[in-house]
Amino acid sequence: MRWFRFALLILAVTVLQKGLLARWGSKPDLLVILLVFFAIYYNTSDAIISSFTIGFAADLVGSPMPMGPQMISFGLFGTLLAYLHRVIAIKRMPYQALAIFATSVLTGVMTHLLVYITEGESVAANIYTVVFVTSLYSSIVGPFLFLPSAWWMRIKIARFGRH
Amino acid sequence: MARKQTKVSRRMLFTWFTLTGLIFLFAPQNLTSKFQLAFVHVFRWPLTIGGNLVMTAQTQQPLAGTAGPSEIQYRNAIENFKKTLAQQQKDFDKLYGLYNTYVWEGTDFVLADVITVTVDGSRNELTIDCRKTTGLAKGQFVLGDECIIGRISDIFPQISKAQVDLFTDPMSKIPVKIAEFKNIMKGTGNNTAKIEMAKNKVEVGENVFALREAGFLDAPMIVGKVSECNRNQENPSFWDITVAPACNIKQLEDVAVIIMNTQK
Repeated sequence: MRWFRFALLILAVTVLQKGLLARWGSKPDLLVILLVFFAIYYNTSDAIISSFTIGFAADLVGSPMPMGPQMISFGLFGTLLAYLHRVIAIKRMPYQALAIFATSVLTGVMTHLLVYITEGESVAANIYTVVFVTSLYSSIVGPFLFLPSAWWMRIKIARFGRH
Repeated sequence: MARKQTKVSRRMLFTWFTLTGLIFLFAPQNLTSKFQLAFVHVFRWPLTIGGNLVMTAQTQQPLAGTAGPSEIQYRNAIENFKKTLAQQQKDFDKLYGLYNTYVWEGTDFVLADVITVTVDGSRNELTIDCRKTTGLAKGQFVLGDECIIGRISDIFPQISKAQVDLFTDPMSKIPVKIAEFKNIMKGTGNNTAKIEMAKNKVEVGENVFALREAGFLDAPMIVGKVSECNRNQENPSFWDITVAPACNIKQLEDVAVIIMNTQK
């Protein structure tokens, strides 16, 4: 893993998510897309570190939610996905989209559950709709962002071959 | 010579990171939110550029007959003056007689630039860069285009940053007045707020005013306009009122924090 490139990529995406995308009501979660990318294309140890780091970045821009819930949920599901990838290869675009959708839904639900447990405040009534819409957008956009991410991280990914 | 490499097992990695996450989760939020504000402070330049790009892309030329941003500001100011005048008249008649003071006397305003605007379904907040931080406190009302948009939720005075919970945030609850009826307005997260189970029907377009609150707001101020008024589905004798902000929050570039004179 090229950690310096990884740090720059995460930083750029975090700033993009908080600055450019924050004013849009419905938007993809770029950090979840990166979470799936690193879980799929890197070894398990690197995937664990990157999952928690991406979760920490999501927490940094996640106010008014407290810090911590996204780090835990991203870390947990990123690690699970990395282990799952050792059994089932997720290399074709539809499967990647499905993996992004499932990971986004699970991390979203767990994040809000953790906030509910710690804060004791009820979450927004439409939170499941928001999580679903964000996951849908992420799964549509995500697989197309894997190619530029792979180029930046200097790794080769076979896109259209059978695996 | 081969470099000595320390190997950490995957299980240990996972445990350490989870523990770190739990520490953040259970640490007091007023401490951890400083990290979030510090991030915005460090990266305020790219964040502001990103926000400005979106605003430029979203800005449309006003059509003939529709109100532009400055016109909305003037209209809101006029509505505030009208309501303030009515309130002053009421105070004058009821309590003070000849003794009366202008509502904003002794009130200070802190101007602040908007760095980030987050308006999605689950969160509605602003991060602002205050030009001075003396007198700032949690709970103070924030004005944008001469109307109430939210309240201060967190302050980081060392870096002059503060977070504003918009009244459209799902966690926000503020007492309001519509056509002489008092209610509690809750945010929905979708850039609107709702008054549920209201006893009286109100007209669409009716102004909604934030009520006076000791130490925070001395006169009622416009907060939004009624955009929908429908019968409650469970109990049709009550009404559900949807309130839209009185200004375009996503387009705001600067805001003002109201600091009341507590010694008054």
